[in-house]
Amino acid sequence: MNESISEDDLITVCGQVGKILLTSGAETSRVEGTVEYIGRAAHYDITCHATITALFVGVNNQTKTHLVKVRLGDFNLEKVDEINTMSRRFVEGKIDFAELKKTINQIDKKVIDFTWPEKVFGAALVSVAPMLLFKATWADLGLAFFVGIFGYLAAALSSPRIKTPYVAAGLGGFTVGLLATLLQSMGIATSAGNIIVSALMPLVPGVAITNSFREIIDRNTISGVVRAVDALIIAGSIGAGVVIGAAVSSILFHLGGGL
Amino acid sequence: MKVLVELIVSFLSTVGFGLVTNVPRRSLLPAGITGSLAWVAYYLVLQVDHGLILSNFTAAIVIGILGNISAVIFRVPVNIIYVPSLVSLVPGGILYLGMRSFTLGNEWRTGQYMFNALTIAIALAVGFVVAEVIFNRIKPLLLKVVSRRKQPANK
Repeated sequence: MNESISEDDLITVCGQVGKILLTSGAETSRVEGTVEYIGRAAHYDITCHATITALFVGVNNQTKTHLVKVRLGDFNLEKVDEINTMSRRFVEGKIDFAELKKTINQIDKKVIDFTWPEKVFGAALVSVAPMLLFKATWADLGLAFFVGIFGYLAAALSSPRIKTPYVAAGLGGFTVGLLATLLQSMGIATSAGNIIVSALMPLVPGVAITNSFREIIDRNTISGVVRAVDALIIAGSIGAGVVIGAAVSSILFHLGGGL
Repeated sequence: MKVLVELIVSFLSTVGFGLVTNVPRRSLLPAGITGSLAWVAYYLVLQVDHGLILSNFTAAIVIGILGNISAVIFRVPVNIIYVPSLVSLVPGGILYLGMRSFTLGNEWRTGQYMFNALTIAIALAVGFVVAEVIFNRIKPLLLKVVSRRKQPANK
């Protein structure tokens, strides 16, 4: 069944699989494992080396190597799952190579997403942080639910439009800082600090930094360090955004009060 | 009572982050349960021991074991359970506070927050490694149970 797979075809498909997995937030060891798994099922001795910024696929004893450049992306775990299901079915022999190629292409192009209202609702739920239960007042947590929606929307809507990296995260922080400080100076909220920390939960790169240490422990030092530095700078731009937002809001409030 | 509230809020938090990171629908419920149980474990350990390390380590072990088990049962990659379940434990807020102090030029607090964030991240990562070692011991047993349950359904 697998006789007619050409080497070039296989390498191309493997590169595509690796690229989708990396940009959707899979760990590098998993990417390498999946690609080599597909290669072995197609009776080729494939080697894959993945870092977070580049992916190399090659057949052992051959000179050809396929290089794919990867950009850091957001989490899209549904794609990881679909690729995983496809590769498993291919290895089990339930689908042939042509079908695998076709489906991978479809997955690459398809936008698999929850609808916007669902995502916004999700972000709002994350904005009520369990960390602050019984520390912040319930009213503040309730406000964080709504401030979180605006922060998430600001970051998510601006990120496809602004090409400069890290600006979208900064805008999210700016919105949250602005709204929270405004609510406090209007006397509605008790503590702007609590609202800000809580409402930033969907934006802040906590999961990324934990995953980066998992990579480092897994001896994928390069990917781990790249992820960690990226997370640090995202946190930095959010922090700067909040500081600016809070400053702007207090200026606005003073101007408004002075008039 | 407090534990119940913590359980519900962390469940909602995990499901919410699952929606944001776009997990497959069938893994929302197992991820939510894993996340909330891990948070309760964290909360209970925190009542006894006030340090950052032991509580996060315990929570990571709970996520690691439950996550691997549900990955086998629901046939999803483990990472899909890990990422949403981690959201309430992870040092994102502290990282932000640290970088904010950095922006404001407050070196002492920057150092303190960054150190805490590092401690939590490493405690969680090491917890996962330990959980995977434990899970590899119970995996053959689990596979036997799963395959025995699935066979009558296939026929």
